[in-house]
Amino acid sequence: MPKLKMPRTSPALDMTPMVDLGFLLVTFFMLTAQFRPEEAVVVDTPSSMSQSPIPTENLMTVTVDSAGRVFWDFTDKKVRAEVIKDMANRYKFTLDPEQIQRFVNLNDIGIPVQQLPSYLSLDSPAERKVMDQASPGIPIDSTNNQLLDWIRSTQIIFSSGSGGKNPIVALKGDGNVNYSTINKVIKIFQGPTVKINRFKMITDLEESRMQVSSNEQK
Amino acid sequence: MADVPEGGGGGGGRHQKKRAKKGSTRIDMTPMVDLAFLLLTFFILTTTMYKPSTLQLTFPVPPEGPNPPKPTEVNNALTLFLTKGDQIFYYRNEFKPGETQLTRTDFSKITPLLIEWNKNTFERIQDLGRKLNAKEITELAYDSLKNEAQKDKAAMFVIIKPDKDAKYRNMIDMVDDMDISGIGKYAVQDSIKPAEQALLDAEKLKF
Repeated sequence: MPKLKMPRTSPALDMTPMVDLGFLLVTFFMLTAQFRPEEAVVVDTPSSMSQSPIPTENLMTVTVDSAGRVFWDFTDKKVRAEVIKDMANRYKFTLDPEQIQRFVNLNDIGIPVQQLPSYLSLDSPAERKVMDQASPGIPIDSTNNQLLDWIRSTQIIFSSGSGGKNPIVALKGDGNVNYSTINKVIKIFQGPTVKINRFKMITDLEESRMQVSSNEQK
Repeated sequence: MADVPEGGGGGGGRHQKKRAKKGSTRIDMTPMVDLAFLLLTFFILTTTMYKPSTLQLTFPVPPEGPNPPKPTEVNNALTLFLTKGDQIFYYRNEFKPGETQLTRTDFSKITPLLIEWNKNTFERIQDLGRKLNAKEITELAYDSLKNEAQKDKAAMFVIIKPDKDAKYRNMIDMVDDMDISGIGKYAVQDSIKPAEQALLDAEKLKF
């Protein structure tokens, strides 16, 4: 019998298509990923079954952390720049363009206005973090209600730039904070100057309860 | 030449030199694949973690003018007090001093209770949901019919009153329960009447 000559093939696989696929997916996820922005405060929001998503534009967020400190945030950068100028006028302090730019690029602000200039002159995020942690948050007492000024300033500036519309207001509270603290913020919302009677409360999607209710429906 | 030629001898020196240089043109791609999938895993894990949602809450516009209209009497009302330790105390209908008794419950038991009390509306909404799933009605019609069912006179009206010991989480859970049990008429209030507070304090002492 003549010897059959088998062609010698290498046992190694051609990995090229796999690499192609791998990097294609990596590129896709890198481009679609939205990183969590640098947050001044970490808040453990309560969970709910609601599935309505959070708006990404024209959103003013008032955050209350577990220690009851209050933070202000607005999504639109142009409005932020105007708001900080307005606040500087109102509280009579001056900021250079660099500080304003830094403010515009930040998110949650939980610093009493008197400390804002020194906060905004800090360049490194680590140093700002130290100051954030030491900060008492935006004062909400009736004698020194800076939160009201932030909200009113945002409303006035936003509605003048958008033809009288009001910004969407969201309240992001830590689940373990006392309701009385939240109630103070809600009372400020409802006050005669800002008149916010509709707002959204930011929650986490609750998965276990969703399963329960979908079972109930069957 | 000192070395022994590998091939069939007659090739000559020209070819020998070329053959010695000939290696595989393939690169081992395994480390590259490793890297690609490592990055892939990292991005998958960091992107899908953060999914906040929102609950809409609407407060009644505070009445203006010197003579605020008196709120109309509601029947079929339920008043819930949220208090420390995730406890709930409730009474139904109107508050009658000396007569009204508070009942104690908690968050795991309140949802079935609410659905039971709000059974008519709840079933109407479930029915509408089925019709929506079967594409018998449009989403727009679903919303307006659901709204109509919730505004019905027979539908339940709930007043949520978190007291000073309640956590924000309790209030969110309760508002969420309103959504689950299909209650459209509810209000979050912070004004606890002195008579109610006294009754609540007496009940809280028992536990």
